[in-house]
Amino acid sequence: MRGAKPILLFNDECNVCRRISSWVQKSAKTKSGEATIIDRAIGEDPEALKRLSPNLNIWDAYATIHLLMPNGSMKLGGEAVAEVLRNIPKTKWFAWTFAVSIFGFRPFQIILNICYAILADMRPLFGCESCGTPGFWIKPIRRMIKWISGDRRTKLLSSSPL
Amino acid sequence: MESGTKLKAQQSLASTQADKITSADKNTFSHLVLDGKGPIAVEFMSYGCSHCGTLEPILQQVASMLESKVKIFRVNTETEKELATTFQVEATPTLIMFLNGKNVGKIVGPTPTVSSILTAMAQPFRGFS
Repeated sequence: MRGAKPILLFNDECNVCRRISSWVQKSAKTKSGEATIIDRAIGEDPEALKRLSPNLNIWDAYATIHLLMPNGSMKLGGEAVAEVLRNIPKTKWFAWTFAVSIFGFRPFQIILNICYAILADMRPLFGCESCGTPGFWIKPIRRMIKWISGDRRTKLLSSSPL
Repeated sequence: MESGTKLKAQQSLASTQADKITSADKNTFSHLVLDGKGPIAVEFMSYGCSHCGTLEPILQQVASMLESKVKIFRVNTETEKELATTFQVEATPTLIMFLNGKNVGKIVGPTPTVSSILTAMAQPFRGFS
């Protein structure tokens, strides 16, 4: 496992995820240009993911951000984001705060988890068709954006167009 | 968080081990579905489609309930675009029902409940015994 790097699994069908992943790809490099995180599209092959990590389920991988650690463990959601920030030279100076614990609570990690949950809910607003039906609090905002942009069809799909 | 992660991993593992739906591709589709005898349901889906993710456990449940009556297959539209075009699949998930190899019904974006899937699947096969 020596020299192994965390693997960031991202949803290649989602604009927001693709952009974040490409930012990570650009930023997660040492001065010598060596990548500190490996980006990998989740893809469409459940067996290929299982080869990467036996417990990794493709449906779960698409549902939330997964970071496969070199020791085989998996970080999800806000925890994965914190770990990614710890591995990026530009952001690691503040990423230590996510580990700060006060009476057993990690306040900065909790804030990050909430931010991640909000961003994940908002992905359909940025045109991610594969991210499903927007959360209940997003629906009025989505309707408003559609109304402003002239698309008055407010029907919420129960299927994703191909 | 850690125990939640472990639990989720166990659930995922369990759900994968008990996969009641067989995947079909362009090489196996003819043999499994078009040459198949009796009622067959094919789910056109993709792993990146969250609606398909919601439907998945329901369909697994339906598949185990109907094991002896209706065979259920899945076709990934991301890798099997040709099949999706052939069967005019425009959105995922889409369920297409076949009876003795003949297309007898189609549902786009079914409500993800066991009862609605059972009803929707049974309708095209009504009268078949």
